[in-house]
Amino acid sequence: MITIRDRAVTVLSALRRFSHSTTTTLLCVVLAGCAALAIASSGSFFEGPSVRTFLQYLATPILIGLAQMVALCVGQLNLAVGALGGFSACLMGVLMADGGVPAGVAVLAGVLTATAIGLVTGLFIVATRINGFIVTLGTMTILLGAQYRLVGTRTIDGYSATLRDLGRSAPLNIPLTFVTALVAAALLAAFMYRCTAGRRLLAAGGNPLAARLSGISTDRQIVLAHTLSGLLIGIAALTATASLPGVNSSVGGDWLLPSFAAPIIGGVALTGGSVAVLGTVLAAFVMRLIDTARAQFSLDPSWINFLIGLVVLGTVAGDRIHQSYLEKKGKAPGRIPPVPPDTEIQPATALPSTGGAR
Amino acid sequence: MKTAVNSTDTGTDRSTEGARPAHRLPFWVNQRLGLLVLIVALGALFGVLRPAFFDERLVLFPLLRDISTLTVVALAQLVVLSVGHMNLAVGRMAAFGALFAGFGYDRLGLPLALGLILCLIAGCAIGALTGWITARTGVSSFVVTLAMDFVLLGLVSLLYSALTENAAFTTRPAGLSELRSYSLADICLGPVCGSPAIPQMAQFTVLALIGLGFLYACTRMGRELLLTGANPAAAELSGIPTARRIVLAHALSGLLAALAGFMAAVSTGTFRASIGDTFMLPSFLGAVLGGTLLTGGVVSVIGALLGTSLVGVIRKGLDLLGVGLESLNIYLGCVLLLALSADRVRTVVSYRKVVRST
Repeated sequence: MITIRDRAVTVLSALRRFSHSTTTTLLCVVLAGCAALAIASSGSFFEGPSVRTFLQYLATPILIGLAQMVALCVGQLNLAVGALGGFSACLMGVLMADGGVPAGVAVLAGVLTATAIGLVTGLFIVATRINGFIVTLGTMTILLGAQYRLVGTRTIDGYSATLRDLGRSAPLNIPLTFVTALVAAALLAAFMYRCTAGRRLLAAGGNPLAARLSGISTDRQIVLAHTLSGLLIGIAALTATASLPGVNSSVGGDWLLPSFAAPIIGGVALTGGSVAVLGTVLAAFVMRLIDTARAQFSLDPSWINFLIGLVVLGTVAGDRIHQSYLEKKGKAPGRIPPVPPDTEIQPATALPSTGGAR
Repeated sequence: MKTAVNSTDTGTDRSTEGARPAHRLPFWVNQRLGLLVLIVALGALFGVLRPAFFDERLVLFPLLRDISTLTVVALAQLVVLSVGHMNLAVGRMAAFGALFAGFGYDRLGLPLALGLILCLIAGCAIGALTGWITARTGVSSFVVTLAMDFVLLGLVSLLYSALTENAAFTTRPAGLSELRSYSLADICLGPVCGSPAIPQMAQFTVLALIGLGFLYACTRMGRELLLTGANPAAAELSGIPTARRIVLAHALSGLLAALAGFMAAVSTGTFRASIGDTFMLPSFLGAVLGGTLLTGGVVSVIGALLGTSLVGVIRKGLDLLGVGLESLNIYLGCVLLLALSADRVRTVVSYRKVVRST
């Protein structure tokens, strides 16, 4: 009896904590948005084909958001998200269409290249101690050039039909690309929340000095984070290649801003040490909803950027106001991981990515 | 120009006098000197390989016009970096300012100077708003300016499509085309005429350089900005209104970005939404290559000019050598990473020497 009551109390407090979190807010926003869209489209939003297109183009934003989140959780920024994704997508396309490489090998080569570039970026940051922001800015420029050199002004669409079919196939109207993204998110969540290596990443991001003193090599965590980020970008490039009608030099050009928007709306702190896999996925959902609503009411595409910008501003400002309100009431909610309230009031004026600054 | 610029250099270069007051670092560690030598050497190299490089009207004039614009962009970034913040929306603020200038000329029929003032006021206002949000909420400036980038990206396109027919203001007030194409050769003091290589638009850049140099070297306000960047907590405790200084820095950044947008619009001849699309990378390149720290507290106004010039010379020289546009980015990225690594190595080596000599 007592154990059951204890458990009930634990569950209740966990529920209460959950109800205060960003994730719940996002979940409500997603549900409300879906309902509103369903009403506006008089029910056709929940029909097969429209669900399918909705989810089809959700896979890549989720994956790039997660890729950025991994870099953010050790306090690094990855500006090369779009360039690396575009480069890998073009590499896969060129290998298949021009090189005649089988689809499986080409995809593997693309994903491995992206991972390797992430690894090299991480090693470079650690070796030179240059700020990660600047290093990824440099790699972004290099990769943009490499992507353009790879494809030039062409659009490559003559690649493997198998991959294309896989990208388009959608059992039960749930596209395989979306399933891929969800599986990647689940694996990442398991890694972050359950593995020692994942906890080390968060420790190094949350307080590098304390992590070092407890025997965690922050350098190794930075390298690991960039490698993981590269791997996720490689998978994002795979889903993009599979679902797009063709790859050209514009693939990845508009990935950078959404990649930051998803984790930030999802509640990840730029200073490192926090992670929100579900929040990032839901934030990608919200952005996709805005996009769909835009198409539903046939508005100018510029509205998306405007609205996403307002949503990001509103999220961060609202979160801050919420925090200070809770502090006034004297019960700060336990975030993941719990952040002491003192550090929260401090204006975060310091640069987010101080990993290689010293 | 030289004297004002030199005084700013010695005044703001705190890395040598602040950190190690007893032992001055050897002169070859001076980053600005290295940059200057590199620019001259590269210019000479390109001149020898392609004598057309020294063609005053066809090569040097557009080169210097680009450098003038991008230097102002780099200065816009430098001002926010000095308080340890970032401005990712620098390009969009430029587009926002240019929108107002174009609106003023097209709809209100303003003369050239009044349109410029309107443009600067708009830029200053949007910058101040960004700074106010950052200071008020304490959210990292990276997030706020990123969101502002989204908002302005959407807003500027929406306003252009609402206000104009073909998404551009093409009305040119009297004096605009002169400003665009005149060089010093068109301004004569009696029989002595200036060089046809130096565009008249450089006057704005020189004004901005002198103004900022004076601000950082000679005024209390500039010192307070730097102190806010170096250590916000210490600055706050020594009685500096850090929030107000942050707003000031962002407002100045917006003002300079708008000026750069105006200059870019003048050099292309139309006021379009795409102005400033490519400003983000050069803004960081110029400031960081010149020796401004991303963490705040150290700026080099003349360094921004030199860093931008180096990038401009490399770009133009490779272009003349027949390196395709697609490969330019690869080389630029490599140059950025190499220059920063070399700088790092130089600092470490010289620091060891100084330590050993004590």
